[in-house]
Amino acid sequence: MSLALATLLYEWRRYMAAVVALAFSGLLVLAQVGMFVGIGKGFTAQIDRARADIMVLGPGAKALFGGPSGLPRRMIPLVYSHPEVTQVAPLDGSGGRFQNILSPEEQAKIDARTKAAAKGGRQAGGEGGGRKTEFVNVTVIDAIPGYVTVPTDYTQSMVEALRQPYAVAVDQTALKRLGVKKGDKAIYNGKTITIAVVTTGYPNIIQPTLVMSRDTLRMLGEADTGPRVAPLMVQIRDPARAEIVAAQLNKKGDGKFRAWTRQELADANSSAMLDDQIIGIMLGFSAFLGLLIGVAITWQTLRGAIMANIKEFASLRALGVSMGDLRNIVMELSFWVGIVGVGAAGLLTWLVTLLAAAGGVPMYFPPSLIIIVAVFLVIIAMLSGFLSLGILKNSQPADLLR
Amino acid sequence: MSNDHSHLRGQSALSAQGLVKRFKTGRTFVEVLKGVDFDAKHGDVTMVMGPSGSGKSTLVAALSGLLEPDEGNVSALEAKDLWSLSKGKIDKFRLDHCGFIFQGFNLFPALTAKQQVMTVLKYQNVGPGEASRRAQAALESVGLGPRVNQRPSELSGGEKQRVAIARALAKNPNLIFADEPTSALDGKSGEIVIKLLRAAATERGAAVICVTHDPRLEAYADRVIHIEDGRILDDVRRTPDANPAPLSH
Repeated sequence: MSLALATLLYEWRRYMAAVVALAFSGLLVLAQVGMFVGIGKGFTAQIDRARADIMVLGPGAKALFGGPSGLPRRMIPLVYSHPEVTQVAPLDGSGGRFQNILSPEEQAKIDARTKAAAKGGRQAGGEGGGRKTEFVNVTVIDAIPGYVTVPTDYTQSMVEALRQPYAVAVDQTALKRLGVKKGDKAIYNGKTITIAVVTTGYPNIIQPTLVMSRDTLRMLGEADTGPRVAPLMVQIRDPARAEIVAAQLNKKGDGKFRAWTRQELADANSSAMLDDQIIGIMLGFSAFLGLLIGVAITWQTLRGAIMANIKEFASLRALGVSMGDLRNIVMELSFWVGIVGVGAAGLLTWLVTLLAAAGGVPMYFPPSLIIIVAVFLVIIAMLSGFLSLGILKNSQPADLLR
Repeated sequence: MSNDHSHLRGQSALSAQGLVKRFKTGRTFVEVLKGVDFDAKHGDVTMVMGPSGSGKSTLVAALSGLLEPDEGNVSALEAKDLWSLSKGKIDKFRLDHCGFIFQGFNLFPALTAKQQVMTVLKYQNVGPGEASRRAQAALESVGLGPRVNQRPSELSGGEKQRVAIARALAKNPNLIFADEPTSALDGKSGEIVIKLLRAAATERGAAVICVTHDPRLEAYADRVIHIEDGRILDDVRRTPDANPAPLSH
């Protein structure tokens, strides 16, 4: 074992501050990116779990949301004409105002509470359970079991339930926010709907999403009937050939649309999210802050730790070990501090993820992100080691002769 | 371990002429070495004795390439003018030829006795297998065979100093500099340490230059140089006692 590694392991308490600083620098960046990507995943959960092998978007669209992604209706037969395509359906959607409906008893309870609060001179409301208004997204499925728009984790009975007129599905993470439970009636854009299905695993912390059948959307008067349709969900005969078929469709479309495989689109979705100005600035700033704090604390810790062993370093100098070799020892030491810091950051982030999961905040960490943050932390540690090199000048072997 | 340098016994290993070293204290300069001439032979234990502040440690620092003198010339082994060499060359010279033993033992707390010795050998480009063998042999020669895997915190002061000696001897140096090697040790440990240094001179032909103010160590010396106030007072050749009185009382 090398001197640097042995020192780090034996005197780990001395290096703890540096490791913790690195861990928190890593957490600062990882947790934020993880959360943003997690939120992005929430938007695309339905796409990730769709039966579609290929999705067709308008040219230039990089993500299903946050930009014009639709295409002319006349493209549908063009996509259909590929011999391997079996189903094509537009992923229609809408959005509007959602209000919950309280039963007369609940309403009476709230009125009484409000009155009592007013008498007591306290402010009314506060406790939840009252009337709620939220803006919601709407996406559709075709209420046919196994159809291309139906997510893979929808059971037969869920699809049956959504086939009923004005039946909608809500994710369980959105129930509290919308003030409803399964079986409740509610008002969407002024029309009464029923919460018939509660899904799990479709969290969306920015805006709750309702899922309904294409027929319900049509009855609500919000279905696309014009010359443009939403992105197309395409099922092909052999999913393993998705990449090939997507390429062939793109050739056929000749720039009028772009066919994506599901994975391609999911990746593009998350990166489109990170390209977003505000998020980019926030992340950049966090990374900068993490770098600053990490370097400052790690540098000072390393300085102190090297200073504590300066006489031993000086004795190596006396025995003829060159300054360059001592510098290498310090750089190796900071490298190992970085590696341990990466491990600690991973552990902390995992704990935060558990906490977030308990609170219903989805987090997701793409492998590329983890690699970037790990490299980032090792760079912080090495930079700190580089800054600490000056302290080695104090290793004057002549000082040992006293 | 082979004895590389015994054939050199009696030849001059190190000589210095007119060494002057001044230190700045405040606005005035203090002259610590005032034109010291010095020489040491292979196979000799040369004791440099004197009260504290006499300049004996500064002399050793100048002789060993650790502290550049303001005036004077040091010629050591094949280096005719040590201080005319570049810093890198002086480092290389120390790496190849010099062993150091300090009053404080200066061992890395994280390394076992064997690793302490091997670390230095590694920088001499000795392969791991050979380094391990030589470290083991060096530690056995100082009587620490059973304790090679102990860390400094598990060793007594005397044992730590013996590890430091093993670290110096494993390099097979021509020149061994020891600065107050026994003053932090009890009598018995001190005796073991000085005997090891004596043996390094007698058996290996190394030139041992030992700074001390402990008069009991004189018994082991071939030559005793008294230095005071930056000047050499006297320089006596003697025959080491065959059965020196024990250092412990």
